[in-house]
Amino acid sequence: MLTLSRYLLYLYPAAHRMEFGEEMSGVLRERQNELGKRGALARWISNGREIGGLLRGAVREHVRAATGLYSWEGFPIRRIRMRTEFRFPKATPVLMTVILGAVVMAIEKARAIQMSIPPSHQQVGPIQSADFTVLPSFVLLFVLGCVAGAIAWAIAYALRRSGGQRLEELKAPGLQSTRK
Amino acid sequence: MESLPLSEPVLLILVSLAEQPRHGYSILKNVEEMSDGRVTLSTGTLYGALRRLLEDRWIERFKEEESSRGRQAYRLTARGRQILRAEVGRLKHLTKVASLRIAPKEM
Repeated sequence: MLTLSRYLLYLYPAAHRMEFGEEMSGVLRERQNELGKRGALARWISNGREIGGLLRGAVREHVRAATGLYSWEGFPIRRIRMRTEFRFPKATPVLMTVILGAVVMAIEKARAIQMSIPPSHQQVGPIQSADFTVLPSFVLLFVLGCVAGAIAWAIAYALRRSGGQRLEELKAPGLQSTRK
Repeated sequence: MESLPLSEPVLLILVSLAEQPRHGYSILKNVEEMSDGRVTLSTGTLYGALRRLLEDRWIERFKEEESSRGRQAYRLTARGRQILRAEVGRLKHLTKVASLRIAPKEM
């Protein structure tokens, strides 16, 4: 189990491993020493929980490293977390590039299929290259993506800001009452 | 207080560190003990929580005079203690209100 746990620690981002790897190994070792005194079933349950916790932790740390946000399972600091500032997830440009690549590939594939259809099968209504080219479609897609992104960003920003303001308003009387 | 209410694992970790500085395994055992075995944190979950609490400066690393290799103790910061006090106050108030409401009413 200890060997498996050490391998699972390699699933964590390098920075996390550098900071906490040795400590986590120490805790896992102490846990195993304690489990040695228990029955087989208790050992199985505890080991399963540890493996699950390490896997979830690795995913969580990668999400945090990629986006700067805490994904939430397990231990949200509080149950509903609202931020007064807006963060643009770093993974979004990567995801958008992948989607764009997929769209361009689909367009190219469609053109290849169009070219492979014999001219006798005219009932399909072949698309003329003069009417449909990759570049205008790409530009149109990019512009539409930018507009949609800007609208979504504005809505998210307005909602978070208003939520933050409401919390600030609620905070003041709550603090006074705890100080009394 | 902007961070309240706290989730149960975070509350238990803070309560555990309120008494004295503790290292990882000691926190795990203490949380289990305080919750009568109901809350059992895995190592992965504990260190995810500790990282976040360190980042938010609710806890800090504590250098022990005799610390063995691979052991690092943590303790509450003044901010962490203040948040814990506010959460305990909130829970007391809630308990009081709930107790009054569920108490049998006089006919």
